Amino acid sequence: MSTAAPTKAPKLPVTVEKPTPYYFDLGLLLANDPNPLALDPSNREASLAAVARDGAQSLINQLLTVCPISSTPAGVLLSLPSAQTPLPREKPVPAPKSESKWSAFAKRRGIAPKTREQRRNIQFNEATGEHERRWGYKGANKAGQDDAIIEVKHESAKEKNRKEGTSIRGDKRREIRERVKRNDRRERRNQRNNEKR
Amino acid sequence: MRPTDLSWHVNRKPKTARSKRALEKRAPKAVENPKKALFLRGTTCSQIAQDALADLFAMRQIHSKRFHKKNPIHPFEDASSLAFFSEKNDCSLLLFASSSKKRPHNITFARTFDYKMFDMLEFNLDPETFRSISQFKGKKVPVGTRPLMVFAGTAFESPVPNTFTMAKSMLIDLFRGETVDKIDVEGLQYVVVVSADEPTGATNEDDPSMKPTLHLRVYLIRTARSGQKLPRVELEEHGPRMDFRLGRMLEPEPAMEKEALRKAKTSEERTKKNISTDIMGDKLGRIHTGKIDLKDLQTRKMKGLKRSRDQHPENDLDAEFEAAPKQKRKI
Repeated sequence: MSTAAPTKAPKLPVTVEKPTPYYFDLGLLLANDPNPLALDPSNREASLAAVARDGAQSLINQLLTVCPISSTPAGVLLSLPSAQTPLPREKPVPAPKSESKWSAFAKRRGIAPKTREQRRNIQFNEATGEHERRWGYKGANKAGQDDAIIEVKHESAKEKNRKEGTSIRGDKRREIRERVKRNDRRERRNQRNNEKR
Repeated sequence: MRPTDLSWHVNRKPKTARSKRALEKRAPKAVENPKKALFLRGTTCSQIAQDALADLFAMRQIHSKRFHKKNPIHPFEDASSLAFFSEKNDCSLLLFASSSKKRPHNITFARTFDYKMFDMLEFNLDPETFRSISQFKGKKVPVGTRPLMVFAGTAFESPVPNTFTMAKSMLIDLFRGETVDKIDVEGLQYVVVVSADEPTGATNEDDPSMKPTLHLRVYLIRTARSGQKLPRVELEEHGPRMDFRLGRMLEPEPAMEKEALRKAKTSEERTKKNISTDIMGDKLGRIHTGKIDLKDLQTRKMKGLKRSRDQHPENDLDAEFEAAPKQKRKI
């Protein structure tokens, strides 16, 4: 360049030449130098430092040339590849969970799992124009349960097959408890099947 | 074969939501948590070995635990206490410092798999050359910074597992930090360099002073503008400085090793065979076309080449062509 200052500093070498090339595992920020170590016994620390410098230089060269670099407000980020060196795990690979009866059925029918919004306890009540809970305290599933007056349909199948000692009072509560128990039984059955495999 | 022995984390049912979360944290996962390390000492432990252990702890404060009391453990005689500590503290890397007349200033590295002892190796510290972090002046790296690692020397390249390859694997496990896919360039602050002396071959294996030494050095990285795109790297010693001779080792059981080295199936796409991309970005596929029958090949029609006139159908040239059925084709 013509505009360069006349007293330009000499370029510092950044390349590392070795008889056997380094190999890297960038996911672990690791460089392997397979060259035999030539240590000067009279000045061991200096020769170790020289080996270290060459290793660090080539590792940084490799990181800055191979990894994609992205500038973000948080800083300049390097995207690292995944680690390749085989290291032992600390715990066994978890066994894949066996399919529950419901998930098998849902798969067959193409039923998608509920979204986060669908699993929320808050829903909008069109009739009152207010948000309410689906379950729990003042839950919508308890609506009408504690009304002062409940109509009894004497001719309905439910009234005819009514268990001794029960009345329409608490019917809703009993039904919910029954469903919860049934679900628990299903859960246990799936768990048993999972263990059997 | 999968381990049939069900660990406690499988068959114990949590009673509260909090304990459930705690158990979930330590349950086996496809993508594992970073390994936790436990630093502890034996009943007799020289000040040098204690300082060395403290320095190793200082370099790995995150995901580590340190015990201060004495523990009557002899890992190579009975490692069950170490396995117990591993399970209690959910630590799969254990560093046990001890000192005896026969093995002065000794640090035993142990790794567990599924809370059972996986492998062990003794690092005998050289007291003359040991320098702790505090003996070096200058800036110290913040806690939790991931180091670069360099392993130098032919000893680490052995194709058969030996003490050096095990030491390398253990030191990588100790210093690897958390697995992240992105790292800040500012975070590349220091480098751990482990160099191994050349094995002299003719040395007496029983004489510890003749064994090749492992040099562990930690340097700060200083980068300078080089006038080129890449920076010039200069190093400044950060400490600690440790020289080790490798002692006894416990190799992993083959079945356990196989189980420990298994990889979980991830959603990552597997590389498809015979498909590659060339420099231009074109996709190349290698396909097998089967044997080409060169007898039916249409060549230039001449009277002299008519089949009826051909007296020698077995042509040497044909056989030579048939030996190369694979071709590169653009798809």
